[in-house]
Amino acid sequence: MLGYLARRFLLLGLMLFGLLCITFVISHVAPGDPARLAAGPDATASMVETLRVQYGLDRPLLVQFGQYLRGVLGGDLGRSLRTRETVASDLARYFPNTFELVTGAMLLAVGLGIPLGILSAVYRDTWVDQLTRVVSVSGIALPAFWLGLMLQLLLALELGLLPLGGRLGLMATPPAPVTHLLVVDAILAGQWRVLGDALAHAVLPTVTLCFPALASIVRVNRAEMLETLKQDYIVNARAQGVSELRIVARYALKNAMIPTLAMIGLRYGWMLGGTVLVETVFDWPGIGLYAVASAVSSDFQPIMGVTLVIGLNFMLANFLVDLAYGWLDPRVRPSLST
Amino acid sequence: MGERVLLTAVLAVLVAMSPAAAFERAGDRKILVFAGRQEVPTIDPSVKYDWSIRMAQQSLYDALVKYVGNPPEIVPWLAEKWESSPDAKTWTFHLAKNAKFHNGDPVTAEAVRFSFARTLKLNQGPAWMLSDFLKEDGIKVVNDTTIQFNLTQSYAPFLSFLPWWYVMNPKQVMANEQAGDMGQKWLTTNAAGSGPFKIKRWEQGVLYELEAVDGYWKGWPSKDHIGGVIYKIVRESAAQRAALIRAEADIVEGLSSDDFDQVAKMPGIAVPTFPGMTTFGIKMNTQNGATKDVNLRKAVCYAFDYEALVKIYNGNAILQTSPFPNATRGFVAVPGIYRQDLGKAKEFLAKSAYPNGGLELEYVYVQGLEEERKMGLVLIDNLQKLNITVKMVPLIWPNMVGRGAKPETSPELMAVFATPVSTDPDAVAYQYHKNSWGKYYGSSYYANDAVWALIDKARTIARWEERAPIYADIQRKIVADAPEIFGMLANRRWAMRDHVKGFVFSPVRFTGEVDLYPLAIAAK
Repeated sequence: MLGYLARRFLLLGLMLFGLLCITFVISHVAPGDPARLAAGPDATASMVETLRVQYGLDRPLLVQFGQYLRGVLGGDLGRSLRTRETVASDLARYFPNTFELVTGAMLLAVGLGIPLGILSAVYRDTWVDQLTRVVSVSGIALPAFWLGLMLQLLLALELGLLPLGGRLGLMATPPAPVTHLLVVDAILAGQWRVLGDALAHAVLPTVTLCFPALASIVRVNRAEMLETLKQDYIVNARAQGVSELRIVARYALKNAMIPTLAMIGLRYGWMLGGTVLVETVFDWPGIGLYAVASAVSSDFQPIMGVTLVIGLNFMLANFLVDLAYGWLDPRVRPSLST
Repeated sequence: MGERVLLTAVLAVLVAMSPAAAFERAGDRKILVFAGRQEVPTIDPSVKYDWSIRMAQQSLYDALVKYVGNPPEIVPWLAEKWESSPDAKTWTFHLAKNAKFHNGDPVTAEAVRFSFARTLKLNQGPAWMLSDFLKEDGIKVVNDTTIQFNLTQSYAPFLSFLPWWYVMNPKQVMANEQAGDMGQKWLTTNAAGSGPFKIKRWEQGVLYELEAVDGYWKGWPSKDHIGGVIYKIVRESAAQRAALIRAEADIVEGLSSDDFDQVAKMPGIAVPTFPGMTTFGIKMNTQNGATKDVNLRKAVCYAFDYEALVKIYNGNAILQTSPFPNATRGFVAVPGIYRQDLGKAKEFLAKSAYPNGGLELEYVYVQGLEEERKMGLVLIDNLQKLNITVKMVPLIWPNMVGRGAKPETSPELMAVFATPVSTDPDAVAYQYHKNSWGKYYGSSYYANDAVWALIDKARTIARWEERAPIYADIQRKIVADAPEIFGMLANRRWAMRDHVKGFVFSPVRFTGEVDLYPLAIAAK
C-alpha cells in the first residue's frame, strides 16, 4: 500500500509540474501586456516599466518560470497584479466558497442521483423511470447559467422565497474564520441566524450546479444497475429467495457503483474548476470568478495558482476514487497493495 | 443535539427568506445599497483609479479641490482658496483650518506634500497627470496651512487634475509601512483619509461598506444624508435589475439600454439620464494597412450611418460634433464633420488607392459588448456599398489592448470608448499626441506635426483667451485628417429607487461613478 501511495504521489507531482509548464506557456504567449493593463489606460511608458520591474515581468521567461517554481515549492504562489495581494491569500479567500458550493452540490447530486438511478432501473419503463429520465435528460440539456437565471427569476424575483445572490445577507456579519467554510464556521460559532442566511443563499446556486451532475449520476447508475440486475448471480440470488431489497442494495448496487464512482470523481474535479457561470449568476465569491477576473486582466500568477489548485483537487478526487475502488471491488485490492 | 441544530437552521433559513427592505438600516442610520458590477481591488489613491475605485476614494479621501455639477466646476475643498503665477508655473493653495483626518489629526500642508510626493515616487495611478511637470522637490510647505507647487514649466491644466490627487494622513500611512512599500499593502484595503465616509467592512470581491463620518469637517449637505453605503458586487446585469426591482438595491449602474427603459416605467424607480463625456469612436490605423490612405479613411467616415449609433442606444446618445466631448472646455462643433453621404464616400474612395473597393477591413471590438457588436454590423452593411467587406473580430480586453499596442499590429478599425479624466481640453487633445501612441485610445497612431506642436504649445499657455483658439484649431485639424469615425456620446444612466435624493451628476466622473456625499434617503 505504501509503495502504491508513493507511486501515486510521485505521479501527482509530475502531473502538477506538467500542468504548471503548460499553463505558464499558454498564459505567457497570449497577447496582452499585464503590466500595461495593471498600470491603467493612461499610464506612461515609465509607469508601465515600474510595474514590470516591481513584479519581475522584465526578466527572461525562463528566469520567471524558475523563480515561480521555487516560490511554489516554498508555498509562495506569487502576487496578483490586479488585487495587489498574494495569490495564496486570494485563494484562501475564494477557494473555500467554491469548495462549499461544489461539495454541497455534489452531496445533493449523489444523495438524489443514486436512489433515483436505482428506482429508475428497478421500475424500468414505468412512470417512475420515465420521470427520472426526463429529469436526467433536462439536467444534461439545460445550460447552467440559463437554469440559474430562471430559478432566480422564479424563486427570488417573482416569489421572493430565496435571496437573489451573494454569500450572505447585506447586514449579516460572518463568523470569525476557523475553517474558512462559512457554514462550518457558523455552526462552530453557534451563529444560527448566519447559518440560516448562508444556507438560504446557497440553495439556488447549489441546485443549479447540482442539476447536471445529478443527471449524469442518474443515467450512469441506472445503466449500470440495469446491466447488473441481468447478471447470473442476481438471477441465482432471486432463485434462492433472497429479498429484492437485499439483492438491489447489497449485491447489485455495489457492483453498479464502480463506474458511477469514477464518474462522480471526475465530475467533482470538473465542478471545482467549472463553477464560473454559476458563480457569476449568483455572485458567489468563488475561485471561478477570481480566475476569470484574472484572465481578463492577463494576470498570470493567479491564473497559474488557480490552475494548480484545481488540478490538485482534480487529481486528489480521482485518487480517492481509486482507493474507493479497492473498497468496493476486492479484485482491485491486490494492485493497491503492491 | 443534531436535531436541534437542524431545526434551528431550518427556522433561520425561513427567517432569511422574508422579503427585503427598501434600504438597509444600522441603528438609526439609513444605509444606501449600490449594486455595481465592478470590484474595488484597491483604494490606495496613489496606485490605481477606475470608476468603482474612484467612487470609493472620493468617499474616503478629500482632495484640494473637487469637481461638482454639470457643467463640471472646480470648487474649493481642502483648499479654501488658491492662486497661480501669471505663467502658471507656481500654484499656491491655502488649506481649510478645520479639516481633520478620520483619526482626528489635522490635514496640514505637510500631509498634502507627503501625498503628492508619495504618488510621484510610486509612479502609478494618477502619477502620469503631473509627473512631467511636478517633481518632489518642487512641492514646498510654506506653513501649516499653505502649500506651494513649483512646476518645471508652465502647465495650465494643472488645477484640472487636482480633484483626483487625494490627501493621505502620513502618520497612518508610514505607521503601516512594510518593507519600504510606503504603506501600499495596508492602503489596499484600509484608508487614511479625511473624506465624508470611513470604512466599516471590506469583504474583497463581495461587498464594501462605508459609514458616514459623524461631524465630517466639511459638514453634510442634507440632514437626511445617508448614514452609510454598501457597495455590493452584482456581476450580472439581469441580477442587478432584479435586485433593484426587488428593492434589494437602491442604485444600479450598467444596465442595457432596454433594461434602463423598462425599469424607468416601473413605479418607485427613477432613471436619471445625462449627456456623458465618454466618446465612442472607431479608430483607424493611420500608419499601417489600407486605412493608412487618408482618402479611404474619409470614404469610410462618409459611408458610416451615424444615426444607427443613436438607435443602438434607444435614442440615449448624441452624435459627436468634434473629437472633444461637449462638456470639455473649449469644445467647438466642427463645421462639416462627417455624416453619411454615399456620394462623397464614393468620391473619396475613387481618390484612394482602392478606387473600386474590393478590400477587407478588420474591425476589432470587445468580446461581449453587444453595442460594439451591433456597430460592427452597421459597418458591414455600410461599407458593402463601397465594395468593402468587414471582418468582425471580437477580442477580450487584454488581447485588444495588446493588438493596439503597436502600429504594425493595430487593426484597421477598432472600437474605442474613451473618458477624459479632466474637463481641460488638454486631456482629450493629448489622446492625439505622439506620446499617446500605444495606449488603447492612441491606436489610430495619428500623426500630424502641426497638431502635435499646437498641443504642446497650448498646454503651457496660462491665459485661457490664448489657449481657446488653439484648441478650436486642433479640433478642426484632427477632423480633417479623419483618424477615426467620430461616433457618439452615450448618455450616462443610473437606475435608482425614488427615495434616493440629492443625486448630483458631473460628466467628468467615470461611467457608473456616483458622488456619494450629497446623497440622501427621503423615507421613514
